[in-house]
Amino acid sequence: MLRVVKPKNARSKRALEAREPKEIEDARTAIFVKGTHAGEVVNNVMKDLMALKRPDAISFAKKNVIHPFEATDAASGSSAAQSFEFWSAKNDASLFAFGHSTKKRPNGLTFVRMYDGKVLDMVEVGIEKFVSMNDIKSPKSTPGHKPLMHFASELFETHPRLMQLKSILMSFFNGEEIESIYLTGIEHVISVSCAPAPATLNTASTSEDTTSLPKVHIRAYTTKLLSSGTRIPRVELVDMGPSIDLVLRRHAEPDAAMLKHALKRPKLKKTDIEKGLGKKRKNMEVDEMGDLRGRVHVGKQDLHKLQTRKMKGLKGGAFDAEDSEDAPTKRRKTS
Amino acid sequence: MDVSDILASHAAKHQAVTVEKETPIIVDAGFLTVTDPNPIEEETYNSNLEEHLQSLARDGVQTLLAKLFSLPTTSSPDGPLAQLPPPTTQLPRAKPLPKPKPLTKWEQFAKAKGIQKTKREKKVWDEERQEWVNRWGKDGKNKQLEEQWATEVKLNADADHDPRKAARDARKARVAKNEKQRLGNVARAEQAAEARGARKNEIDRNLAQSRISTASMGKFDKKLEGEKKLRGIKRKFEPNEKSVKDEAKASLALLSRMDSDAKKMRKNPTSEESVLNVRKAVRFASKGEGGVALGRKSTGKPGKTGKRK
Repeated sequence: MLRVVKPKNARSKRALEAREPKEIEDARTAIFVKGTHAGEVVNNVMKDLMALKRPDAISFAKKNVIHPFEATDAASGSSAAQSFEFWSAKNDASLFAFGHSTKKRPNGLTFVRMYDGKVLDMVEVGIEKFVSMNDIKSPKSTPGHKPLMHFASELFETHPRLMQLKSILMSFFNGEEIESIYLTGIEHVISVSCAPAPATLNTASTSEDTTSLPKVHIRAYTTKLLSSGTRIPRVELVDMGPSIDLVLRRHAEPDAAMLKHALKRPKLKKTDIEKGLGKKRKNMEVDEMGDLRGRVHVGKQDLHKLQTRKMKGLKGGAFDAEDSEDAPTKRRKTS
Repeated sequence: MDVSDILASHAAKHQAVTVEKETPIIVDAGFLTVTDPNPIEEETYNSNLEEHLQSLARDGVQTLLAKLFSLPTTSSPDGPLAQLPPPTTQLPRAKPLPKPKPLTKWEQFAKAKGIQKTKREKKVWDEERQEWVNRWGKDGKNKQLEEQWATEVKLNADADHDPRKAARDARKARVAKNEKQRLGNVARAEQAAEARGARKNEIDRNLAQSRISTASMGKFDKKLEGEKKLRGIKRKFEPNEKSVKDEAKASLALLSRMDSDAKKMRKNPTSEESVLNVRKAVRFASKGEGGVALGRKSTGKPGKTGKRK
């Protein structure tokens, strides 16, 4: 394993502090790495995904004798997980896109997600069709701008395999929590959709039989905001590329205990609770004009205590006993 | 005045920015993500794939933008910033949550007393020089007293009183005191962490003990999900070949240990005494009746059994 370094000067101390766990995390850095053989298609796909992921992307040039879904490699004697852990620690990266192509599984791409320097889960996809960014002549988005993400299919909400893919892709492109965004800086959208779900598809199983799983289409478009006369602009999309058609292959589920740790949220600050986060905001809504509107509920009023005009005849005193007897009957009449 | 034209055009505009779907589209504005949970239509999918995908994406993005543009904004030098709500999708973190740092002694005190921390600027205003100078460090304000060209000395001061040295010593003492306090805080934090580790070890040990404390030594116990295999102590053997010096040392150590153990000595007596096994001899001589019976027999006194005869 990596040796633990003690910082010797202020600069390296700052660099190490930047790597320490934070309450609100930065964008995940992704490493693009090749297996024993990748092939032209996979190389180009990785190049284009990297163009979308920049600047939080690192490219590895060399080939690596690792097989992510095998426990240990006979050739090197070490497991792929160890390699991922090593690279992750060295580069402070928590995502991998691992490109590999074999006779049995041509044009494969494995997305690996890490937690605390350990492999959390993996998804292997096969590339069926690929059109590069450069082949589509259209304006491209600026690197570093946050993309919008669009998922279309009921399977992304129901099927465990596609839910995992959605989660990994969201971590890959959009996993960083931000407080605010400059709306005119929205330039592009990454759209992920499925082929129609076959009737035979069982949404409960996560079995390795991937033949029934529908194809996944990844597209990237630039957005064009047109004025619509209202506050909300009308949006038009222009194909930007890359366009990738995928099939799902092998996968590794996250370890339940590890996932539970990874999903832990920081405690809400007192100021946040006062702002209304974490708690349900009752009786408050923002209307179309952007004004905060509240509903006030007043409890039932006790009219008996209402101060009315004081008259001598209505006063108690000598007729107290009579009054108390009369009172219930009077109330019955009025109700 | 006929306003139907205006109303119609307004309605048309509004229509262009709203999307109607069977199942409402799920928007997670915090992650800028939109999910369309409607099933894919097979007809449009098969007829023209690219067009179908683009129109799907447009509908989704339109819904997302409608949400984003209706968020409250704050102004910034670059333009309006939309304030995003916290995300609703749960994504796993990349690193665990940061551990809370143990409080220093001062922080504990301040917390108990409710003292608010005030930020201390690094620079202070120097009236003489009419500029901002460092509070400490290079040309620091705290060195002013020892660096000024003239210092007032009291009349009754010692002959060898050096005001510069006195000021410097005082400053150095302050630094040393602070360092001592810092080290104390570090030590205290370490101790607290150790105590926590010790507690964990104790629990682990107790758990391991209880797992093998059944009649079958835990073999037929119900296994819990995710329970780890209990690891025993591995036997370690000395190497067959080792230097004579080491061997002699090990043997001597063993011998000395044997000598020292008084309890063991009592159980296994030394060699000269062990020629005769007293216990065995008594049993043999008394024909298994024990030492007391043997004593009685040798003195010739009749026992209880003899009286009855």
